[in-house]
Formats: sequence, C-alpha cells, structure tokens
Amino acid sequence: MDILGAQLVNGLSYGLLLFIITCGLSLIFGILGVLNLAHGSLYMFGAYIAYSLTATYTQSFWTALIVAPIIVALIALVVERVLLRPTYHLGHLSQVLLTFGLAYVFHDIASFIWGSNVLSITVPTALAGSFAIFGQTFPVYRLAVIAIGLVIAILLWFVQEKTKWGAIIRAGLSDKEMIGGLGVNIKLVFTTVFVIGGLLAGFGGVIAAPVLGIYPSMEFETLILALVVLVIGGLGSISGTLVASILVGLVETFSRFLVPELSMFLVFGLMAVILVAKPNGLLGKQVAHS
Amino acid sequence: MKKTWFKLVSVVLVFVMLAACGESAINSSSDADAQGGSGGASGDTVKVGAILPFSGVYASLGKDLSDGMKLYFDSINWEVEGKKIELIEEDTEADPQVALRRVRKLMDQDNIDILTGAVSTAVAYAVRDDVDSNKLPYLASHAGGDDLTRAQRSDYIWRSSFSSWQIGHSMGEWAYKNIGKTMYIAAADYAFGREVSSAFKEAYTAAGGKIVGEVYPPLGNNDYASYLTTISGVKADGVYAFFAGSDAVRFVQQYEQYGLKEKMPLVGSGWLVAEDLRQTIDPAAEGAFASTFWDYNLESKENQEFVKAYEEAYDRRPTIESLEGYDAARIIAETVKSLGGDVSDPDKVVDAMSKVSFTSPRGPIQFDQETHHVIQNMYITETELVDGKTENKVIHTVDQVKDPGQ
Amino acid sequence: MRNTYVQFLVSFVALAAAPFVLSLFHLNLLSEILILAIFALSLNVLVGFTGLVSLGHAAFFGVGAYTAAVVAQNVSADMFVTLGLAVAGSFLLAAVIGMFCIKVSGFYFLMLTLAFSQMIYSFIHQSTNLTGGSNGLSGIPRPEMGSFIFGNPVLIFYLVLAVFFVSYAVLRMIVKSPYGQVLVGIRENETRVKSMGYNTGFYKYSAFILAGIFGGVSGALYTYFNGFIAPSDVYWTMSGTALIMVLVGGAGTMLGPVLGAALIVVLETIVSSYVDQWMLVLGLVFITFVVFFPKGIVGIGQSLYKNAVKKKPVYEKKKSRAA
Repeated sequence: MDILGAQLVNGLSYGLLLFIITCGLSLIFGILGVLNLAHGSLYMFGAYIAYSLTATYTQSFWTALIVAPIIVALIALVVERVLLRPTYHLGHLSQVLLTFGLAYVFHDIASFIWGSNVLSITVPTALAGSFAIFGQTFPVYRLAVIAIGLVIAILLWFVQEKTKWGAIIRAGLSDKEMIGGLGVNIKLVFTTVFVIGGLLAGFGGVIAAPVLGIYPSMEFETLILALVVLVIGGLGSISGTLVASILVGLVETFSRFLVPELSMFLVFGLMAVILVAKPNGLLGKQVAHS
Repeated sequence: MKKTWFKLVSVVLVFVMLAACGESAINSSSDADAQGGSGGASGDTVKVGAILPFSGVYASLGKDLSDGMKLYFDSINWEVEGKKIELIEEDTEADPQVALRRVRKLMDQDNIDILTGAVSTAVAYAVRDDVDSNKLPYLASHAGGDDLTRAQRSDYIWRSSFSSWQIGHSMGEWAYKNIGKTMYIAAADYAFGREVSSAFKEAYTAAGGKIVGEVYPPLGNNDYASYLTTISGVKADGVYAFFAGSDAVRFVQQYEQYGLKEKMPLVGSGWLVAEDLRQTIDPAAEGAFASTFWDYNLESKENQEFVKAYEEAYDRRPTIESLEGYDAARIIAETVKSLGGDVSDPDKVVDAMSKVSFTSPRGPIQFDQETHHVIQNMYITETELVDGKTENKVIHTVDQVKDPGQ
Repeated sequence: MRNTYVQFLVSFVALAAAPFVLSLFHLNLLSEILILAIFALSLNVLVGFTGLVSLGHAAFFGVGAYTAAVVAQNVSADMFVTLGLAVAGSFLLAAVIGMFCIKVSGFYFLMLTLAFSQMIYSFIHQSTNLTGGSNGLSGIPRPEMGSFIFGNPVLIFYLVLAVFFVSYAVLRMIVKSPYGQVLVGIRENETRVKSMGYNTGFYKYSAFILAGIFGGVSGALYTYFNGFIAPSDVYWTMSGTALIMVLVGGAGTMLGPVLGAALIVVLETIVSSYVDQWMLVLGLVFITFVVFFPKGIVGIGQSLYKNAVKKKPVYEKKKSRAA
C-alpha cells in the first residue's frame, strides 16, 4: 500500500507542475480566444533566463524566480503589441498560426543565445532537502511545487471571481462589444491578459527547470503536454485546467508504475476518450471558436 | 484558366531554379557503376564531407565532433602528401531524411571523396544504401547501432567510434565481480538503450549475475519520480541505467533526490556521467560507475596532449565526441597519407583505411577486418568528488574489446 | 476545359524531361518535392476545402510509409502489393480516427488529430521489432512491377511523377465535383449546408478518409524514394511542415500546396547551406505569409495577374475569348 501512497504524491506533484505550466495558456485562451502556440517558447525563455541569472549574475534562485518571469512578460508584451494587436481582424485561426510560426523563430533564437547543451537550475538550499512519507524519500522541492501550484490556483480563482478586474475579464469573455460600450478599454484588457499569461509561462519555466531540466526542443514537448491538459480540462476554464492537470499527473504517474511502456499512449488516449465523451472537455464552456 | 497557366509558368520557374550546369541525372545514374562513385578526386584537394547535427537535440554533440576534427586538421595544417584537405560540413538536424538529402548533395554536387559523421544511428542506417551503391568510403564517427557493422555491413563503411554492444557488454563482468549478484535495469526505450542494456544483460548473466527487474521509460521522459519509486521497492545490489543527454541529467539527479543513491550504486554507460553533463548533474553523479572508451582523466601521454591542445583551442573541456572527431580526422589523414594522396579509387581508399592503426588518446585502436568496426580498450570509471566538483576516475581497463559481429 | 488538358499534358511533358536537364541531386530534390506535394495536397482536402485544420496528418504519411516498408521487406516488393496495402492501411486508420475526429471542430479537431498522430508516433517509436523503433527501417527493397525493378533515381522519379499526376487529377476532379462544392460549403458555413439537407457528418468523414488515403500514398512513395523510413517522419513536426506548405502555397487551391512544397524544400536546401537557423527562416516566412499574404503564393500570383490585367484590358478581352 505504501507504494501506492508514494505514487499518489508523485502524481499530485507532477500534476500541479503541469498546472503551473498550463494556467497561462488557459487564461489567454479563455479571454482572448487565441490559442498561443508560442506558450511553450515563453516557458522555455523563462527557464533559460533563470539559468543565466542563477549561473552568472545573482546565484539566487529567488531573484531569478521574480526577474525571469518579468522579462518573459516583457517579451509577451512585445509579441502582443507588434504581432497580435495589428492582426486581431485576421481571425483566431490566423493568430494561432502566427504563434506557431513564432515558436519556430523563438526556437532558433534560444539555441543561438544559449547553445544546445543540457542545462539545469540548482534548487535553493531551503528546498533542497528531502523528507520521508509512506516509507519513501521525497525531495522537498516536489512538495513545494504542490504548494505553489495550489497558491496560483487560488490566486487566479480569487482574481477572476472576487475582484473588479475579474468581473471585466469575465464580461469580456461573454460579450466583447458590451464591455467596450461600458467604457473599458478592451485592447488594454487583452494586452494585460496576454502579458499575465506570459508572466505565468515564464514563472512555470523557472519552477519546472529543476525538475524537467533545460535542453533543446524542450518547449515543444512541454507545449504538447500543456495542450493536452488544456483540451482535457476544457478550453477557457481555469478550474477545468486544474482538474485536468491533476488527472493527467495521476494517470501518467500510475501508468508509468503499472504499464511503463504504454505511458505515452495513455495520456493521449485519455484525451481522445474525454473529447469523444465530452467534446468540450471536462469543464469547458461552449466557447465560440474560429 | 489562369491558374493552369500559372502552373505552367511555375513549372518552368522550378526548372530555372534547379537547372544546374552539371551532367544530367540520366547520364550520371546510368554510369554510376562503371565510373565507381563520386570520385571527383582529381586536382589537389581531398574533399571530406561530414554529416553532423548542428541543430536539434544532438546539436552539442555535432559541434564537439566538428571541433575535434578541426583540431586535428589544424595540427597538420589541413594538408596531407601535398594535398589540401577540404572539410564540407552539412547539418543533418538529427533527421534521417534531411541527412539523406545532404549526403546526396555532398555526393552529386560537391563530389566528396570520403564521408564521415552521423551522430544518430538512424542517420547512419538511412545513408547506408546510398553510400554502398555509390561506393563512397564512409567512416562512421559516432552512431553506435550494432547492425551498422553486423547485418548492415558494407565494404565502404568503417566505424571508429563504438558499438552499443561494446558499451553494454564491457560492464557486465565487472559489475558482477564488484557490485553484486543482482541488478535492476532501467534504460530509455529506444534502439540504442535496448541494445546497450541487452548487451549488459548478456555479459552480466553469463558471469553468473541475475537481473531482478527491468523498466524502459520512453525516450525524453520528463519525470522519473514514478519509476524511481518503483525501483526503490526492489531488492537489488545495484541499478544499471542507460540514459543520455537531458534524460541522463534528470535520471541521475532524481536518483539522488529520491534517496536511491544511498541504497544501491548506480552503474551505467559513459553518457550517464558524460563530461559535458556532469557540470549540470553535479554532485549527484558522485559514486556512479560507468563503462566508456575514453575519459578526460586517462593518464596516457597521448590523452594529455590532446586535452591540452583542445582546451587551448576552444577554452573548454573535450568530450567523448570531441575525441571521436579528432580520431576520425586522424584516420582520414592517415588513409590519404598511405595512398600517397591519391583517393580516386574508393576500393583502395577503404583498403588503406582498414589498415590504419595508431595509439589514440583513448588507447591503441585498429580495425576489425571482418566487421569493419574499431577494436579498442574499454574503461570502467568511478565518479568522485574533487574539490566540490565531480571527476571521473578510470579504475579498470578491459583490453582490446572486439565486437562479435553478429 | 480542353485547354486545361493541354496544359496538363504540357506540364507533364516538361516535368518528364527533367532527368535530361537536371543533375541527379536536383532530380532527387524534384522527386521529393512531388512526394511532399501529394502529401500537402491531401492535407489541403481537409484544411483548404473542408476547413478542418489538422495537425496530425503525418500519421497517415507514416502508416503508408511503414506499411509499404514492412510489406516490401517481409512479403513482396511488388509495387501493387506495397502501394495497395499502404492505401488499405491508411484507409483503415483514417476510418477509425475519423469517426472520433469529425465529431469535434475548430481547435478540438486540431488537438484530437495531434493526439492520434502522437499515439501512432509512440507506437512506431516503441515497436522495435516491427518498425525498427528509433533506428527506423533501412535497406527496403526498391519497388518492382512484375520483373521490372525501379532500381535507380531516374526510374523512381518517373514513378513518383506518374503517381503525382494521377493523384493531382483525381483530387482535382473530386474537389471540382458537386461533392467538392459541398465540402467548400461546409468550410464556409456548416450550419447552412446542414439546413439544406446535406449530411455534413458523412461529407466530413469521407473527406477525412480521402485525405488519409492520399497521405498514405505519399508516404509509400517516400519509402520507395529513400529506401528508408524513420519515426521522425511521423512526428508532429512533419504535420506542421505540411500545414505550412499548404498555407504558404495557398489553402483551398489545387496549385497552392504544390508550390508550397516546392518553396519549402528549395528554401530549406538553399538556406541550410549557409546557416543552421533554418527554423528561424521558416518561421519568419510563415509569419510573413500569414500576415501579408493570407492567400499564399497563389494569392500573390492572382493579384499580380489582376493588376496586370487592369493595365491591359484589351489583352484580357482577347485572352478570355480564346479560353
């Protein structure tokens, strides 16, 4: 029984890591209706910038955890202003394709700047130890990931449901013209949301780097996984993303434990089954798309 | 209607774009056999084509191989027997189909005399038939798939790097004598991982050891927590692991984080604790045992000179791929030398190549005439902490390991 | 209409002359372009004509290629056997996957096709005994037809060329037929087509299968062409490349995907002799097309043509009468 308990902790930790990575993507899609395929690239930039910061300038993981996401958010700001804002009239599909092209461009920029060695970020001493439950040794960092994931989930829920900002955002989701009529600058809302999405992507990159590592093409692997989580949870629903992250985390962990050769199949299989049974994902709203 | 006209124009355009002044395909394909391949060797240069991944997952390996080759060619001033050596490098993107396209370019456009490179085994297999039918001498300088010098053997293909079998097999007996009677195997689920671990299994069980369990995580698996929890419930004297690149970094780090390092020693191949990965893995790699065919800390004179020259040239440590590139360049140079600079006949080139032998930084090397694969020493290393940094130390040598060839 | 056939014939003859003009390297490049053009054309049935953006088309390419390879190695290298089974394999796969995929639309369709193709990829990557796993399958016998063997690149080129023209003609006929018009209707407004009494589900399903079959054909040709197949040809990047070819060339046209395939392959060959940043160039080209030329190369051609026509109305008059 112990081993099942231990795998449960593994699954939760992996699932919440997925949530940290995916929530920015989910947020942007939910409000802008743009599936940001460059999300993985922003995530990658977060990880690489944090690496540069910890390896050279500050040595401090905590500084990197704050500075790297901000730099990524600035990149997101530039992307939104230069590439997305002038092209909202082209429609959602074109914008998805734009971000797809952008992912290719970012890939080579990253390998140009940081080379193609495998890199890693050292976990700060405060989180470096390990502890034992279910007769197993766990790194403290894994527990921290669970906590951070939950904090982000609560924060996002609070902002969306309890603040004026959240109200504007929810209104923007259901009726874009009306909110413009109310005197809210919808363009500003879009830019802000995209930048927050970028911030979260960068944050996810820093948090995930000590676990998943930093290596060439990391962004595409992460992107595909994030898209799977997003679709299972239902496009545009943060709570759906949370549920889906934990579900994918558990399914993947237990399939690695029980049927290791099939673990990649099962996640995609899960997605196919859920989409066939519930075409809008677990908690997805009927979003009008493209 | 205008669309179809447009089509016609574009066809013509494509022709204009592609039309080359060279001989037409009809001619070159019909007398390929008579002429004997690409030998545009006349003149005073020897053209060496290298297919290496300069982008994609294996880009760092490609760069090291390339730097190693250039270091050697620099040392002889890019000249052998009065002939200039021209190195033409093409990026395979670690994609076999791209590699094939590049090899065809090297053969048909650049008229290279000798081909070298290939990091991914799939790339080596992909180019195998084209190389063979065009009689192009090919020195494989990394790709380690067993079959390249077994079932897929070709008169024109020689390999100076290693085979999966050499890597896995050389660890078996040593592990039985020094680690214990039971082992657990964890290896990345791709051809290389499977070949190496089955060679290990073969040697280990032949020595009397018992494999108590096996797990094969997918290549590029991003979190080993679940597998490590499984492994920690197993009773074994050690864990044999085959992982490379980012997989190796994650596995070795997480192996320590999940407390397995204290329970069971980690045994594997050189790539688990490779020179360029260890600065990232640090210090989790300490205490790992690995089998390899070269190490930074080998004490021979040849190796120390190589390391010194490499560090002076590039300001970083050489990796095993740097060494592979360096040796491949030397083998090519020695081949050209023994032919007196005349590389026009591919059969003579491979014949000369087969006779090359010298003491490389990795120890004495020569070719097995039967399999066309290199015969070399294998080393067992232990990773130690020296001044807070990990270093590999050679603790055992298996002399002159020869791939069985089947 | 007769003019179309003439032009068809002229382009065929022009291409058939290629081996006498081009060097072996360029001929191989042309073969590759034609193969990828079939692949892009098949994807275009979904993306361009039916309005279903798929990011998993490599699955059919891969299944066609691997079926042809495995059959050639183990059963028979006869072209009719390998090609027939490759078509059968991709048909079956499309029939199964299609049942699920056509139930969803928009991004969900994109994701579901991606998911299925990644499952196929994992299967091929892991079944070392059947598919050679990550090493791929090599030494695949060249296709035969009776006692005739397509033993050198020139013969392979003619085979590819013949299949290309047949595929092009068949696909062109289909999309110009009333059936094809319904597909275009679905792309423009599915609800309306439905309300007109068409069973749109059936149309989408059959379009999916059609695309799958021709994807399989191009995969089988790729196996003939290279004598080698690896899992990287089934990876999602292959689907992404095909999608880029379709969109850069011009989605929803017959010529677009062919031009897109030619542009991407030629560009890749040129660019990568100079720099390693091929993805950067590809990404920039793609972004440029999405923003400035959403109708692709064909769109550019058409607007250039229109401009030219505006300036010379007399010429246009004559020409249209001739046509």
